[in-house]
Amino acid sequence: MNILLVEDEQKIAEFVCAGLRARGFAVTHCDNGHRGLDLACQGQHDVIVLDIMLPGRDGLSVLKALRGAGMATPVILLTARNELGDRVAGLDLGADDYLAKPFFVEELAARIQALLRRLTGERHNTLQVGTFTLDRITRQVCCGDHRIELTPREFNLLEYLMRSAGQVFTRRQILEHVWGYDFDPSTNVVDVCIKRIRGKLGDIGDNDDGASPIEAVRGSGYRFRQTV
Amino acid sequence: MTLSFRLRLFVVAALIVTTVLASVLLLSRSSVLAFEIDRLDDRLCMEAQRLTAPQIRSDRMTRLEADIGGKLHLNAPNQLMLRFDAATGLSGFQSTYWQEHLHPETWRWSAPRPQGIQGRPEGPPPGAPGHIRPLDGPPGTCSMASFTDSQAQWRAARFDMPMGRGLVAADLAATKAELQGAVNGVLTLVVPLALVLTALGAWLLSGLMMRPVNRLREAMKAVTGKALDQRLAGHREDREFRELIDAYNTMLARLESNFNQASRFSADAAHELKTPLTILQGRIEQAIQRSDQRTIQSDLIGMLDEVGRLTTITRKLLLLAQADAGPLALHLTRIDLTELLEGLMADTHMLVGAQTVSTSIEPGLILQGDAVLLGQLFNNLISNAVRYSVPDGWITVRSRRRRSGIEVIFANATHTIAPTERQRFFDRFYRGEAAYGQHVDGNGLGLSLAREIATAHGGELTLLSETQQDVTLQLWLPHG
Repeated sequence: MNILLVEDEQKIAEFVCAGLRARGFAVTHCDNGHRGLDLACQGQHDVIVLDIMLPGRDGLSVLKALRGAGMATPVILLTARNELGDRVAGLDLGADDYLAKPFFVEELAARIQALLRRLTGERHNTLQVGTFTLDRITRQVCCGDHRIELTPREFNLLEYLMRSAGQVFTRRQILEHVWGYDFDPSTNVVDVCIKRIRGKLGDIGDNDDGASPIEAVRGSGYRFRQTV
Repeated sequence: MTLSFRLRLFVVAALIVTTVLASVLLLSRSSVLAFEIDRLDDRLCMEAQRLTAPQIRSDRMTRLEADIGGKLHLNAPNQLMLRFDAATGLSGFQSTYWQEHLHPETWRWSAPRPQGIQGRPEGPPPGAPGHIRPLDGPPGTCSMASFTDSQAQWRAARFDMPMGRGLVAADLAATKAELQGAVNGVLTLVVPLALVLTALGAWLLSGLMMRPVNRLREAMKAVTGKALDQRLAGHREDREFRELIDAYNTMLARLESNFNQASRFSADAAHELKTPLTILQGRIEQAIQRSDQRTIQSDLIGMLDEVGRLTTITRKLLLLAQADAGPLALHLTRIDLTELLEGLMADTHMLVGAQTVSTSIEPGLILQGDAVLLGQLFNNLISNAVRYSVPDGWITVRSRRRRSGIEVIFANATHTIAPTERQRFFDRFYRGEAAYGQHVDGNGLGLSLAREIATAHGGELTLLSETQQDVTLQLWLPHG
């Protein structure tokens, strides 16, 4: 999967590129709007990650020119300046999603994957980890043949963990993905929600070793066990 | 009761015109009457002169009476009295209805008005009151007098000639009444017509005066609705309004410059603050994933949490700065408030300890709003309620549709809060005292930001103080 990253801040570009490559994406980076537009118009990228404040030509004008040229490549805007105004303008100009700075690369990857899923259709809509199956369309979670009833929040959290099974997510990453960045970060809502999901998954009693599929990594966060 | 400006203009204009009209009508009515009565006086004088003509004899008195009565428009013969007092050597005569008890010598005689037939200027009465002698007035002059007899107002004319004097007295009450009736008849036609015309004129006038005001208002509305860089064009207006427009344009220019400065500041500040935060957060995230050591990871996560707090404060401060600079930019979408609140309440149930949470949310509350900002608003309100509610207290969230909008109530039990403290609730960086020594986290920006978001949506956030042991916040949002 080819990602085009248009971002002028070198240090940001570095870790974004590294993070996305580590997650299996091929990333092309360029640091100004004119070059970014040229590259985007070649149509070789699956998703464009576009910073708004760029030297030369700003992100919104690149987006406008891109859509004007009939290119429908999905675009995720990175906003830092006037967050609200840029967001409104960007969505009006045909951006598919936006992410406010600062952001987690994990979250950016999740957004890219969501966009790609929307493009490629249904075949990626089920997640299978061990005996657990999660259907993004019907929003159902099953352990073998047993259906597990989850609230929307619990479902979103489980989906986030199962998507990258084995990887540790910090509370803050989980909070920002599931609740949004404006949710009060001082609460322990993530822990409470994880506890509830564990309770519901544990009810199935399918695990021979009695361990929950969601593992708490001391001091770090949570992960979904890769082999359940 | 406050009247509209136009109505006030109308009332004042109508009152002025009506007053002027009424005085003009009254004046003209009395002068018309006076003129007509003068003409009657002239007529009386003429008839008195006729009596002094030598060919008038008493045997033709009846015909004379009828003739004069007809000329004066009298209704009955007893409304007329004639008399001729001859000078020495001639015999006088008097008419049938002459009342013997009358003494013309005692009447107050005066010259007729200047327009009388003699054209004599006003002067002292020709006869001294109380004593009248034949030939005492200059020959060929007419004098007038009024007297009352048998409850009727009489008018008398006396014409002095060397050979004697003629006296004509007529009861003119009926004639005057007739005259007045005729004048009043004309007035009853004229007055309503004049009133209608006055009202119409006043209404048109007030409309005319309001026209530039209305035009200005519409133009101002159009300008402020669009953008601050618009200006009113006033070169075609009258001088007074041109000055007003100039003042308004100057004000707009100052507003625009302030607004631009403020939004530039908040945009620059946003960029300058968020870039290092983004780098910091990205680097830490990267380091966590690369590190294998638990202790380092947990240190890094602690740092990440602090970056998160900085980010939250930065974001809120920048939103507040934007709200101060001008209306917050909204990306309006259809929002199912019921769903949003129910999700929020599910979170609340996860967050509270021993507090009882009661919820009553009407189904199908739909509005047009900015999902991100409304999310922020509700998060701020509910985390406030959770943060400041006493450990064994209660939290209530009610939402219902009202005629003027959607009402959402967030209430919670707190420790006693003094009214002076309540007044500072919406102050920035104000934090309530920790309930029972609990550590209260938060930056004190939540409520002021929530209020700005409500305002940007055309709604309102107010603190309803019912008792000192609870905090009730009422949020109004307009219908979608």
